[in-house]
Amino acid sequence: MPEVRIAAETREEFGKGAARRIRRAGRVPAVLYGHGTETRHLNLPGHDLMLALKTPNVLLRLDGLNNGSEIALPKAVQRDPIKGFLTHVDLILVRRGEKVTVEVPVRVTGEVFPGGVLDQQLVQIPVEAEATHIPQGIDIDVDGMQVGEAVHAGDLKLPHGVSLQVEPDTLVLHVIAPAAEEAAEEAAEEEPAAPEPVTEAAASGEGEQGG
Amino acid sequence: MLIPRRVKHRKQHRPDRHGAAKGGTHVNFGEFGIQALEHAYVTNRQIEAARIAMTRHIRRGGKVWINIYPDRPLTKKPAETRMGSGKGSPEWWVANVKPGRVMFELSGVAEPVAREALRRAIHKLPMKCRVVKREVGEG
Repeated sequence: MPEVRIAAETREEFGKGAARRIRRAGRVPAVLYGHGTETRHLNLPGHDLMLALKTPNVLLRLDGLNNGSEIALPKAVQRDPIKGFLTHVDLILVRRGEKVTVEVPVRVTGEVFPGGVLDQQLVQIPVEAEATHIPQGIDIDVDGMQVGEAVHAGDLKLPHGVSLQVEPDTLVLHVIAPAAEEAAEEAAEEEPAAPEPVTEAAASGEGEQGG
Repeated sequence: MLIPRRVKHRKQHRPDRHGAAKGGTHVNFGEFGIQALEHAYVTNRQIEAARIAMTRHIRRGGKVWINIYPDRPLTKKPAETRMGSGKGSPEWWVANVKPGRVMFELSGVAEPVAREALRRAIHKLPMKCRVVKREVGEG
């Protein structure tokens, strides 16, 4: 995976006021830690970081730090829930050749056999890989899978140098029949009008006495 | 219809309608979801109507998750009643939804079908909403 160069600046002032000033200036507050080093507070360019983080587990090269440049992986990304802009990023320091445990996306291709519903239990799977060679995703072809068929973690084809960090019998996805769900749905729809909340609440008011 | 089986207090204060959702702001179970963009009290009837609109559109296949629960009672005084004489009687069960909250999730159907099903469900809800897609790989 190629590295993405990001121009980092050391952050001198802290607190919500300072953080908001940084965000208004189009930058994102961040912290960098790992390998037993002192935590470093940074601010990073918002737009470059946003583009970089579109790639899962992107390797960032942080330039402009006091002791030269460092490579890091995003550990936790906080976004505004409505507008989606980055509010804070935690970065973890990595070294070349070091093995790291990360969650990589499971990418599903193909269509299951008509009549089956694909139930994906794991959308990301923890794997151990070299920090500089993290796979962008693990592909699973579900084309023609019949109802009852399943793919477990042990069945995945992992790239060279990548190992699983979950039990091999962990269910990743399976194909289920929709009929049972549909029957339940019909039954639910045909139910008579639900009891009035007032009466329901009044009945439960007895519990209130004991409390 | 969703309704609590037992409650500690039959009548409660009105839930606070300020701030944004603290959690439940991502699609965690399905592939697509409905995210609230405004505050609202969503009643159990609205939740049920949205669920039915969604499941009827997807027909066979697909799986639906409801991430909110109407656990707050709202009271109402009868019409043409003088003020005072205590709090009114419980009338609705609502979920207090704040902006950013992902209320419903859906998976197991093609994207156009899922978007249409969620669009129909949004029409049953009392606030502005949008359809969101699951994002993975962001640590």
